[in-house]
Amino acid sequence: MINPQPVVLGEMPSLSKLYVNAATAAARRRVLGASTGKKKLPAASHEVRNVRADVDNLTAYQHLVGETASDILPAGYVHALAFPVSMSVMNRDDFPLPLLGMIHLKNHVQQRVPIAFPEALDIRSWAENMAGHKAGTQLDMVAEVRSSSAGELLWRGVSTYLAKGVFIPGIDKPGSTNGATGPADFSPPDPTALWQLGLDTGRSYATVSGDFNPIHLSVLSAKALGLRGSIAHGMYLASRALSDVGAAKADSFAWDVTFEAPVFLPARVALDITTIQSDSGSWERSDYVAWNPRSGRRHFTGSVTAGA
Amino acid sequence: MAAADVTTGETREPTITPQSTRSAVIVGGNRIPFARTGGAYVKSSNQDMLTAALEGLIARFGLQDERIGEVAAGAVLKHSRDFNLTREAVLGSALSPETPAYDLQQACATGLETVIGLSNKIKLGQIDSAIAGGVDSASDAPIAVSEGLREILLDLNRAKTPVQKLKIIGRIRPKDLAPDAPNTGEPRTGLSMGEHQALTTAQWKITREAQDELAFNSHRNLASAYERGFFDDLMTPYRGLSRDSNMRADTTLEKLASLKPVFGKNLGSEATMTAGNSTPLTDGASTVLLATEEWADAHALPKLATVLDGEAAAVDFVHGKDGLLMAPVFAVPRLLARHGLTLEDIDFFEIHEAFAGTVLSTLAAWEDEDFGRTRLGLDGALGKVDRAKLNVNGSSLAAGHPFAATGGRIVASLAKMLHEKGTVDGRPARGLISVCAAGGQGVVALLEAA
Repeated sequence: MINPQPVVLGEMPSLSKLYVNAATAAARRRVLGASTGKKKLPAASHEVRNVRADVDNLTAYQHLVGETASDILPAGYVHALAFPVSMSVMNRDDFPLPLLGMIHLKNHVQQRVPIAFPEALDIRSWAENMAGHKAGTQLDMVAEVRSSSAGELLWRGVSTYLAKGVFIPGIDKPGSTNGATGPADFSPPDPTALWQLGLDTGRSYATVSGDFNPIHLSVLSAKALGLRGSIAHGMYLASRALSDVGAAKADSFAWDVTFEAPVFLPARVALDITTIQSDSGSWERSDYVAWNPRSGRRHFTGSVTAGA
Repeated sequence: MAAADVTTGETREPTITPQSTRSAVIVGGNRIPFARTGGAYVKSSNQDMLTAALEGLIARFGLQDERIGEVAAGAVLKHSRDFNLTREAVLGSALSPETPAYDLQQACATGLETVIGLSNKIKLGQIDSAIAGGVDSASDAPIAVSEGLREILLDLNRAKTPVQKLKIIGRIRPKDLAPDAPNTGEPRTGLSMGEHQALTTAQWKITREAQDELAFNSHRNLASAYERGFFDDLMTPYRGLSRDSNMRADTTLEKLASLKPVFGKNLGSEATMTAGNSTPLTDGASTVLLATEEWADAHALPKLATVLDGEAAAVDFVHGKDGLLMAPVFAVPRLLARHGLTLEDIDFFEIHEAFAGTVLSTLAAWEDEDFGRTRLGLDGALGKVDRAKLNVNGSSLAAGHPFAATGGRIVASLAKMLHEKGTVDGRPARGLISVCAAGGQGVVALLEAA
């Protein structure tokens, strides 16, 4: 159960400090033994109040993912605003899984009400649903964004992460079906767009989102964490897909993405967006799928659906 | 010769036949507050601002998913990659993606010309609805590479072997790396727009005091229009700004008098043009919704005013025959004559305040007997503009002047003023718009309460 009283942080946590802290903890574990020894998710939630978007940062984010710089915060930008709060929960001493090396499996966002700059926001985050996965242990990081003045819930995000190779006794019950079925056979459709992603894509998104996870920054820093090269941020790819869905979408919507093969940089990514309209012609849903145009491997799939 | 085209001032009969075509009505407008350059919109592009103004218009008049007949807008400072600026803004908006759009560029007259051109299409029956607009960013201005570097880069692109490429790269000199930023200089004279106006201001003997007073009135009128809530249905906030950031509601004649001259310092005569009585560089965007009466009725939307007519003029400024910004002086008498009207038949004058000196030189030329006879082809002076009818809700000196956005600002505001006024002596209230532009051009338009 999540404690109804959040731990209120005085200011937005610094992501760079959190990453350094996580790296130190990881090094310590390597010396002292693999497991954190914890079996439960922390019951605490963290909250930061009166958060306002920085207009230069907002504009830079919008331009990077292909959005027009309007006063409405893109749903992916709100995720980036909330991310340090979630990270601070995952950085707690009583958090059972190692933060570094976690894999973003899927993301679900409900944009209930459009958020306009410069509205003040209260951002709260906690962890829940720790469960076994065939490759390790997965959990959900939940973030809720409310209007500081009215208290209304505006945005809710659930990010599902996998701690690969971490098995917690009692949770890694045999026969876990999470992640057990591989991706279905995929035959690429004709693309509606083709993205050219340069080697600096990860660094550019890190600059606007603050997510300086080393796996995205350079070949060297990614190799240090066991990857063969740097990879694009999942939320960068999903945010570009959301931007490509465009202005047709309704004011309130649900936005889903499931990540499959990572995008190693530099890359060409093929994208197909299919729009589903109601009988009256109004927008109902846009489905998207992205793949590697050379290998045909699927990178991610998702949808944007009217109503949240 | 401009004068040869002007019918005599004595003519009181319209020279055009009564309209057999449809009328084009102004439904309303929307703009974002204008921001001084380097201010609230410093990182926003032309496309961002135009889309923001457009989205506000769409929200105000319920145009989501609507296929508009055509959208036309433009920017004066425009990067070559923005060749489809207006269409891109439409695609980024809630309008139907099946709405066509085109870009237009006529210096500072861009915005007004989009209104006239689209109104003509409506009148001809080609379209039933249209959105006119304009945008400019002095903050996010395009910067080109120097001519030398441009040639080298193009040669490099054509080179086939690494040796050829290396040779070409070796041609780059430090001076080639200096960027080529846009400026307000006239290509044929090398004089800035302010220097040109300083010549005209001196020629018409416009005093410093008269210019400062016009600037003072602009700020005072704009501030009181905001206080009355006049702009509440003409504007949507953007980037935390809800009023034009250049406006100084508390400015005084003393403060304006204390400013040092910035233009015309080397003319010999006294320099009178300051930062206070000249428009500052500004960022902003504006839009205007136009339609047939039937379209407006069918969508249950207001009809504020009718676009009666427009006229463009140009002057031979290069060797000083006329001042750079004096073309409207010739366009207005031609437009009025076509409708059998005089300055006294106009209820609101919107003369764009590029500089206070521009407005005052224009008024002086119209009041000048000799100029009226020799240059306008009239029997005497064109007439006097009643100052109580001039720029009554402020103009560019206070609001700022994002070049292509000024036309839309004026048209939407004037349409609302005409609608509020309704009738004068049993006839619909009339408004005249005058906008000067670089290259010695000017565009003017006649609006009437609907």
